[in-house]
Amino acid sequence: MGIILYEEPELKDPFMIVGWPGIGDVGLIAVDTLRATTEAEELGEIESWDFFYPKKVIIKTGILEDLKFPTNKFYFKRFERNDLIFFLGEEQPKKQTASGYAEGEEAYRMANLVLNVAEKFGCRRIYTSGAAVAFTHHSVRPRVWAVPNTEKLMEEIKKYPNTILMSHVEGRGGRGFISGLNGLLLGAARKRGFEGVCLMGEIPVYFQGLLIPYPGASKSVLKVFGEVLGIKIDFGKFDEKYQGMEKKIEDIYSQIPSEVKEQLDKLKELGYLGQTDLEPLSEENRKRLWDEISEFLKKGDGRDEEAI
Amino acid sequence: MKRPFEFTDQPELENPSIIVGWDGDIGKIAPGVIDFLNKELGGHKFCSIEPNGFFSLGGVAVEGDYIRFPESTFYYGQKKDLVIFKSDQPDHNHYTFLNSVLDVPGHYGRIKELFTISAMVSSIAHTAPRRIFAVFNQPELQEMLQSYNLKGLTWEGPPAISSFLLWIARRREIPGLSLWLEVPFYLAVIEDLEAIKLTLSFFDRRFNLNLDLGELDVKIREQNEKIEQLRIENKEVNKYLGLLESGLGLKEEVQLKLAQKIYEYFKRDREMR
Repeated sequence: MGIILYEEPELKDPFMIVGWPGIGDVGLIAVDTLRATTEAEELGEIESWDFFYPKKVIIKTGILEDLKFPTNKFYFKRFERNDLIFFLGEEQPKKQTASGYAEGEEAYRMANLVLNVAEKFGCRRIYTSGAAVAFTHHSVRPRVWAVPNTEKLMEEIKKYPNTILMSHVEGRGGRGFISGLNGLLLGAARKRGFEGVCLMGEIPVYFQGLLIPYPGASKSVLKVFGEVLGIKIDFGKFDEKYQGMEKKIEDIYSQIPSEVKEQLDKLKELGYLGQTDLEPLSEENRKRLWDEISEFLKKGDGRDEEAI
Repeated sequence: MKRPFEFTDQPELENPSIIVGWDGDIGKIAPGVIDFLNKELGGHKFCSIEPNGFFSLGGVAVEGDYIRFPESTFYYGQKKDLVIFKSDQPDHNHYTFLNSVLDVPGHYGRIKELFTISAMVSSIAHTAPRRIFAVFNQPELQEMLQSYNLKGLTWEGPPAISSFLLWIARRREIPGLSLWLEVPFYLAVIEDLEAIKLTLSFFDRRFNLNLDLGELDVKIREQNEKIEQLRIENKEVNKYLGLLESGLGLKEEVQLKLAQKIYEYFKRDREMR
């Protein structure tokens, strides 16, 4: 029970990059795009039946032909510097929790199976990726929140483009919570001595409940991955692929009542902070604006799924 | 790892077959069949699967004025080649749970055959003969049971727990079959005694049980008479049932109306007794 490897290549100081579905599928889209860009080969899989209820049965004229389960696959790609191992999970193992995200024994077991593969191929660093629900506007370029699992990575992370540490996120004070396997995996990784970083693309707080992809945040995460790993990503192709989704997001926004939009548009000012040379708001005005929007959205605690 | 089931008795069984039924099924087919078999065969509990880890234990459900708690019980009776399992459907860790369902009879040697009991709603009238549809996990078993007049099902979509169990059984090289009883939609929330009888007749033949189904025939007659009485009292119900008997379909809202009227009639009847 556990892992099936299709082959066992010799890999050079590999990094592992992990993607699971979540809010806006931010991490999954980013990691899958990276996998496709690098044309990574299939390496193996985690047997799904112990973790998931099957999603489809195929019965023909009285014979049970097959059951289809959510897939959990590993891929690999050789590079000059660090080889890469990708892991893509089609679902997070979960109990029926209020959050709907992975937790408990099954999730921890899944996390350790992923780490077993990392260990087998001599990998010492794991990247996970997800969404950071933020008080930002969808017209503002999403930033990437980076959370390492060890203090020694702080200095390195500060050099990542368009990336902030939790202590720089407005109103967080360096604290938060990463729900689901994106967080749990890095906790388990720390316990087993792996370095780990979670990269989370910002998604506006008003879109967190929508069950549609949010490719803008994935793009920000991809840019960080491209820089850190030295991979050239064709963003023209990416934009083309998700053009329809961007339009859908605009359409959804256009349907929001104008008085609500007036409030939400204030988020543009917040999102602008630190990103342009325009004179920033005073601390006092910024606080007032923040409070107003928080009150309006009734989300004052800012708790999100994969971060906070 | 501690096994999730506990034996309370050690019956003498030899390469048993197992019949599996889930509580809360459509038309109460599975509990009806299993309770009948246990009564007829002198069923005794001998093992149960612990709910912890499989069911959401944040509290207990109340149904029909009393507390319901998840139960997953194995029974044995006069026959040494038969184990019966009745359970609520688990919420978590299905793979481990379903393997336990097979581990218990597997404790007594190679499992001969697995049977699961399920039902599906149909737009037939209660006066029409029921059919048994079937899903096999091996073509050989399908071939072997050809004379039982089971209709081969074709379906692609979300799997029922019985299909998951059947798939696990195939991985363990246990021949198995899911019985899918056709239940008129308006009996889905009541009890389809005719379908229960048909299922029992199948097992009677398969295991040479010599079941006495006379008492069940009386109950079927009573159920049919009640529906006839309602047809006399309510012209609308009579019209809808007549349409179904003619092989015509009803619109969804009409189906719902008919099901509601029949349900309420049976509920009133139960309360008056």
